[in-house]
Amino acid sequence: MSVMVRVDDRLVHGQVVVGWGRAMRLKRIVLVDDVISGSEWEQELYRMGVPEGMEIEFASVDDAATGFARWNAERDHTMLLVGEVDTLLRLGAVAPVARVNLGGVHQATGRTERLPYVFLSDEEAAQLQTLADRGVVITAQDVPTAPPIPLAEFVP
Amino acid sequence: MSGVTLGGLILWGIVTGVDLVSFLQAMVARPLVAATVAGAILGDPSAGVLIGMVLELFALEVLPVGGARYPDYGPAAVAACAVAAGRGPEALGLGVVVGLGLAQIGEWSIVALRRWNTTHVRRAAAALDAGDLKVIQRVQLAGIGRDALRALLLTLGGLGVALAVRRWPPVAGRPALLLLAVLVGIGLATAAINGKRLASGRTGLAWLTTGLAGGIAWLFLR
Amino acid sequence: MAVPAVMAFVRAGFRLLTVQACFNHERMIGVGVGYASEPLLRTLPDGVKGDRYRAAMIRATRYFNAHPYLVGLAAGALARAEHDDVPGPQIERLRTALVGPLGAVGDRLVWAGTLPAASAVGLAISTDARAGLGALAMLGLYNVPHAVLRIWGLMAGWRNGTRVGRALASPLLSATLRAIGPTATLAIGFAIPLVTARLVGGLDLAIWTGVVAGAGLAIMVLRWIAPALGAVRLGLLAALGIALGAIL
Repeated sequence: MSVMVRVDDRLVHGQVVVGWGRAMRLKRIVLVDDVISGSEWEQELYRMGVPEGMEIEFASVDDAATGFARWNAERDHTMLLVGEVDTLLRLGAVAPVARVNLGGVHQATGRTERLPYVFLSDEEAAQLQTLADRGVVITAQDVPTAPPIPLAEFVP
Repeated sequence: MSGVTLGGLILWGIVTGVDLVSFLQAMVARPLVAATVAGAILGDPSAGVLIGMVLELFALEVLPVGGARYPDYGPAAVAACAVAAGRGPEALGLGVVVGLGLAQIGEWSIVALRRWNTTHVRRAAAALDAGDLKVIQRVQLAGIGRDALRALLLTLGGLGVALAVRRWPPVAGRPALLLLAVLVGIGLATAAINGKRLASGRTGLAWLTTGLAGGIAWLFLR
Repeated sequence: MAVPAVMAFVRAGFRLLTVQACFNHERMIGVGVGYASEPLLRTLPDGVKGDRYRAAMIRATRYFNAHPYLVGLAAGALARAEHDDVPGPQIERLRTALVGPLGAVGDRLVWAGTLPAASAVGLAISTDARAGLGALAMLGLYNVPHAVLRIWGLMAGWRNGTRVGRALASPLLSATLRAIGPTATLAIGFAIPLVTARLVGGLDLAIWTGVVAGAGLAIMVLRWIAPALGAVRLGLLAALGIALGAIL
């Protein structure tokens, strides 16, 4: 299993490229976002945040669904990065997502704190629960050195 | 120690402590700088430089990358110099130990400070979310104030430990020199290991050995 | 567009020195960014009483993180975007997009480049000069690029707005990024023999054995056995061992 899907509203940042990049020996980050996949100036910036030796690709949800099987078959590790629970849900509907890492969903109107780095609205919590009921393994873990926390512990 | 010296050390401890994160980051918090100045305040500049050099080797490990935890060497260097000033080479090792201990406590104190800051920011969330400049200003000032308090406590605690160690040194004579030697060895290896990592990929060892060869040549040719 | 006066940039520059004043886990340095950007937002249409200023300030204090010396690039670019009337959601996207690159570039350029290089030069000079010159050299070598980076960042951010990626892609910056790591490694290598000679050069063979033992221990523990222990804790444990040995 070489594809990991991470939900992190900070997208490409230090925890991802340094923390997870080293621990997982990541070869590639695929930023899945329908707007960024069509926005040149944003891609320009995200490319600057990735160190040498790591690839970054930009995909819409549909592109990601097409590429999923290919990345999954590779021996090298790929991280699919999404910024919102909603994007995750749309990705889950079109690609065989098996495990999800919640790395950072921060405070916003309507959301309540579930973990220091996971804030969810009731709707988002229910959406994650639906995914989990379908057999997707969802855990929260901001950095590789922290223990993963199963969804059931913070979304009862 | 005169009142002026004590006051100078406390003030310098606060300046270096705050410099590390909250204000300026001109790196006067680095042990080489912090200890050189502390040695001068104590009237033993040479001990200050030597303490600063050993601690600086250890500090080469510190890369505050991606929110990593890091030791705080500013107040630590002040306390280390207070141990070693005017006591000759035997006291240098003990000074370094006090410095390392305090740097570690400094690391924990930064973790606690960030928790305290988080509580304040949470409490002020409504005003911050309204873009209230007065509250923003207050949050910033309070943050620096808390950090200054943190640095003050560290410096005072460190100076207390330093006085105790001067009065009742746990090791003296040959073992004290051996202590210095082992710590210098650990520091040198730390500098080499981390220095090698700074050049990306496999070129690190080549750059490091080139530098080492240059340094050795310099020692023989000067 | 009402361009802010020179004094507004000076004020923003000084406020940027406090950008990490209230470093916290929730917004990281977001409040600091809001505080520093504020002088640049005062000339938005209708001034400090206007809706544009208020909306901009609310956005400006939200979560943000970056290397402290490069935050000016973000503060400048985001303020410019506000003046250019870029839609709010797009400004928030710019904010998110800046966190990764400003952190990564700053870490490589400063924490893993300029700082250890300046430190090594300071160490080398400290071994063979009047007391204080090494520290002074270190401060100078470090803080000239530091100041340049801060000032350049704020101005380049303001000039480029949403296209701030161009400033980061400058050939000079990428050449410096490639060169700075090896330079630091080389300088540290050069400093090590000088520091060794200065600290333990005049001492006898038994002391030298202690140095070699300490170095060997550090290489074994920090490279292979327990890298997470760190040099500080290893040094403290070794000291404890020696003290116990001396007492017994």
